Amino acid sequence: MDLETARSKSARADRRTILHTALLERRAALRQGWLRLLTAECLENLNSAAESVKSLLSGQDGFHDWTLAASHPWMDSKAGLAECLLAIGTGQPMGCWAAVVAPTPLSFAAFQQLSSKDRVETLSLRYRCPLNIGGEGESEMAEELLRQLMVTDRAKLETGAEFDVDDILLKLNLVAVAAPFKRDLRFLDSLNYFYELPHRSLCRLRRNPRLLAAWLCLYAQLLCAPDW
Amino acid sequence: MRVAVISGSLATGIRIASEVERLPGVEVLIVDCNVRMRSPLLRWLRELALALQSVRRRGYVRKLWNYARSGKLVILAHSLNDRQSLERLKSLECDIGLHAANLIYRQPTIDVFRLGILNAHIGILPEYRGRSVAEWSILYGDPTGVTVFFIDSGIDTGSRIILREFIPPEDCRSVQSLKTMLFGFDAILYRQALEALASNGFRYSHNEVSRGKRYYVMSKILSKSVDNILKAGVR
Repeated sequence: MDLETARSKSARADRRTILHTALLERRAALRQGWLRLLTAECLENLNSAAESVKSLLSGQDGFHDWTLAASHPWMDSKAGLAECLLAIGTGQPMGCWAAVVAPTPLSFAAFQQLSSKDRVETLSLRYRCPLNIGGEGESEMAEELLRQLMVTDRAKLETGAEFDVDDILLKLNLVAVAAPFKRDLRFLDSLNYFYELPHRSLCRLRRNPRLLAAWLCLYAQLLCAPDW
Repeated sequence: MRVAVISGSLATGIRIASEVERLPGVEVLIVDCNVRMRSPLLRWLRELALALQSVRRRGYVRKLWNYARSGKLVILAHSLNDRQSLERLKSLECDIGLHAANLIYRQPTIDVFRLGILNAHIGILPEYRGRSVAEWSILYGDPTGVTVFFIDSGIDTGSRIILREFIPPEDCRSVQSLKTMLFGFDAILYRQALEALASNGFRYSHNEVSRGKRYYVMSKILSKSVDNILKAGVR
């Protein structure tokens, strides 16, 4: 449904239409405003991915359903996590295949105790193919990432405290990838919430342009997803 | 039964105490907390401003005086979870605390009360735990209401539910008015919960956490959508 259709339907106002209209309005605002966040300098850092990022963010509403690519219980990838996230975000094919062996379950208690640096390392290794975060067995982890973002991390950004850019961006990306698997608005809304944080806080995310670009692309797509 | 209203302001304390004190066999105390640890000057200026806002000022002053005179008004200078505050609370020998302050309780504080601390949560448990639950309920088309339960140190995970009251949004046309309306039921529902607890054969409902989700502060864009849903009167 495009924004105009949604707006006209909104007059008849049912809950779902009101929600979709709001999300498409946010998509339109993102289309207009993404360059304020992802500057030309950031785009330069994206190398060959820059064009697809620009085209996705400035382009028409669309959702490339990445849940369809999750064809095995656990998947592996040769490319790094950031490359895979950029590929999913821009709707490009991603080199992922069935893993020979699934990794051992992550100790949840141990994960909660990790420093932000170790957390980034653990997440990057485990979710080398980020689609794995959407798996049934990873629900608890996805929930924990959502909790960390919406409790501790948002507080850090809101109060202007120091934070680990890689850690927060990685979590934002993984929560975004998990969102359509869960079909759970809480996951999408955490992205809404972060996008609405003061510009001066979001600017600090430019320190990792690849993850920032991937997050914005995933967010842009999710705003157009039909299943909310 | 000895009950303490743990309030963030004297006005709130008096409001809830006035409702609960009507129950036979219930002795009510007010424990006034300095929630944000404001300086004494700021704290009392705020208290004064809230008192002046109180609609029935005469009744307010009289009640406040009665509570103070009978030693049933406790003003905490330190934070609630502080050791000195805990000692003071222990000395009160209360059966139940009623949560009416913007605070997070640590287990030692909860344990001071023989039965525990009741919370009037503006969402239906076990489905809706956490923040912005009234808004999330509206967004999902689920019933709104208030659940009174004994808290534990988790986020709305206390297992003993006393009552769940389904309260439709009726004429609320915004998130703010909905929340104000639901919060306004705290005193009545605390009274009903205490009544229920004192009744013969009362049994708790179990707060089965796995049946629900934890919700977080809602974004502006979704809050606005909830406003629109309420304005449109969608049920």
